[in-house]
Amino acid sequence: MKKVFIVMLLVLAFVVPMFAQGGQEAKKAEIDKTAPVTIIFWTHEDAARQKLEDQWMKEFMEAHPNVKIEVSRKDAEGLRQGVQTAYAADPKTAPTVWNLPIESSHEYIENGLVAPVDYEVVGFKNADDMRAQYADGMIDAVYQDGNFYGIPLELTNWCIFLDKEVFRLAGLDPEKDYPKTWEDMVAVSKKIVKRDGDIITRRGFDFRYSYSLTYFVPMVEQLGGSLSEKEGCVNEEAWVKALTFMKNWGPSGENLGNSTLTAPRKLFNKHNLDIAMANTGLYQESRIATENPTFYNSGEWMVVPYPVFKDAVKDVAGCYYGHYYHVNSEATDLQQYWGWELIKYFLLTPGHAELYLTNVGLIQPLKTLMNGDVYKSMPYSEVFSYDFARAHIVYCGKGSAAIQKQIDTAINNVMLQGVDPKQAYKDLQKNVLEILND
Amino acid sequence: MKSKVKTYSIEKKQARYGFAFTIPCLLFFAFFSFYPIINAFITSMTDRRAVGKTWKFIGFENYSYLFTKSNGGFSLLNSLKATGLFTLGCFIPMVVIALVLSVLIMQLRKPGQKKFFELSYYIPAVLSSVVAATIWRIMFQPTGLVNQLSNTLMFTSGKDYKWLTDNGMLVASTIIVYFWKYIGYFTILFITGLASIPPTIYEAAIVDGSSRWHTFWKITLPLLKPTVMLVSIMAMLQCLKTFSTQYMFVIGGTARKPIDVITMNIFYTGITNGYLGRASAMSIILFFIMLFFTYFQFAVQRGGDDVEY
Repeated sequence: MKKVFIVMLLVLAFVVPMFAQGGQEAKKAEIDKTAPVTIIFWTHEDAARQKLEDQWMKEFMEAHPNVKIEVSRKDAEGLRQGVQTAYAADPKTAPTVWNLPIESSHEYIENGLVAPVDYEVVGFKNADDMRAQYADGMIDAVYQDGNFYGIPLELTNWCIFLDKEVFRLAGLDPEKDYPKTWEDMVAVSKKIVKRDGDIITRRGFDFRYSYSLTYFVPMVEQLGGSLSEKEGCVNEEAWVKALTFMKNWGPSGENLGNSTLTAPRKLFNKHNLDIAMANTGLYQESRIATENPTFYNSGEWMVVPYPVFKDAVKDVAGCYYGHYYHVNSEATDLQQYWGWELIKYFLLTPGHAELYLTNVGLIQPLKTLMNGDVYKSMPYSEVFSYDFARAHIVYCGKGSAAIQKQIDTAINNVMLQGVDPKQAYKDLQKNVLEILND
Repeated sequence: MKSKVKTYSIEKKQARYGFAFTIPCLLFFAFFSFYPIINAFITSMTDRRAVGKTWKFIGFENYSYLFTKSNGGFSLLNSLKATGLFTLGCFIPMVVIALVLSVLIMQLRKPGQKKFFELSYYIPAVLSSVVAATIWRIMFQPTGLVNQLSNTLMFTSGKDYKWLTDNGMLVASTIIVYFWKYIGYFTILFITGLASIPPTIYEAAIVDGSSRWHTFWKITLPLLKPTVMLVSIMAMLQCLKTFSTQYMFVIGGTARKPIDVITMNIFYTGITNGYLGRASAMSIILFFIMLFFTYFQFAVQRGGDDVEY
């Protein structure tokens, strides 16, 4: 009997904590803002941004000695997994302040795991006043039920970075021959590509294969298709056509590139003449300047808009995505208060937006910044503005991360597995609907 | 009244001390192994998501889902197939070749030579799996070392052997990486087993005129049975749990389906897609598969007497 009792006690000790749902949310009480508090701040790695934010955190802690900031930086995927795991383990001990791409952070908003912006703390009168400070539509992704749930650190779109010297080596004039359409992209890449037998040694262009929501969905939209939270992959013809384009791009077609080769943006800065074009954002400029100042100052690179198909029914550029700073709604009131104070210090202190732009290449979509001289003086900022105007934010609805993996797989299947684009579409649509209906 | 005096034999006393010394280990094991298993089992009966505040009990729904639905295109059945293919392709050659290598190394007379080969084979096991997979992924690229070597060996020029893009070659690539990484580890285990066989037995065999081949089959292998069992179970379990190689390859842009081993599917289902209940169900299924094969190997190799020197 005694043994049975001990065993039952042990089992209960295992099981009970797993069902603990926490008590009712305590009513927000008056907080003592001078009490000691620790802010757990998680963000993604970026050497140039780290330099700025480390300095600002130091200043912040000096100004507010009761605040301690514990920062942790991870690579983009590691951060996404880390934040998710921390919330899954216990939202109360998850980071106080964090950022993720909007397609990943949106579900935290939907599930009430991030707090609405404390307008009073950050210096806006209300939601409308906050909306008025930002470029049209650019912060809508974090708006829900009358409130904003994050403040943008950056809104990024990708254009085409072009190495002029590689163009000239292939007998092309970069100023005239740069690709305006996807058909041009194939033609130009065929002229630039170099092979040793079947092996590619120089590429014209290649895609960012694991970000299909950002680069591929707009291609589908150009052809009349779309990705819908209700109907999945809408317009079979458009999807099949876009998938066929990818199939022809890969090893079983023109063999111009594929997902297993080194990412073009990593090669571009080196200027080793093994890649002519890369699809990347304004932040690439500061990376070129840091990694290869000679190339940066040589005038041998330029930026051109995102191409469209010749028979496009819609002029759509690559999607833009956002990184927003969020505050954990399950953190203590004191942590939330200081979390918003910290975000305000980072993002809304006069002059900081300009420093993010010039030192890191990050665009905060503040009207004052985007219409200001600093932004306009950035090389090719007009190209990014042009593409912003004909783009929309990346799909960030239900199951965005899982759907992106499905589209990646469909592209991979047609390019590398020899799957027929029609079959790839059917499988994709079936799986996307399964994710949406789950 | 006569009081009863308790007396203990020396064995019993020793056993009590032995038990006392194992308590910390048992507690550690209970906390870090039993608790996660029980937790995973209970989570597998819920619809728990990674990002969500509440969840509910759904019984065995996750299990029936895994065996009947495609899990968003990456079904459990495909993962079972991929894991089976990888395990068979890796574990059998690994055990056989590790045994052959260990016997060959034991034949070396100079201790320096022995140490050199032991160290050479063991070094990859020390390397982090992620680093090893990343290095190999670069080597498997069309411009990489492996493709160049393939061209040299096959007397071809500029041919892409599609180590990362062809389904079959991709599976072979992951097997090669794993084989390279762990062959040394199992070779060392076999060497330890071989070293524990008393040399007097071999001396007696030589006196009786036994050939090397005969000695291996009639003396070495039977006496090595406990080590063979240990190595084969460990190697099989390692192969069933393989993750980093496949994951690093997929991160690097290869197709996922041909190498979507169960552990990777658990990771993508639970961490990327956030279906913790479903991922837990998969991990429980993997647990029972491993338990079954371990028991099966024990049963198969149990025949005969225990080895005593």
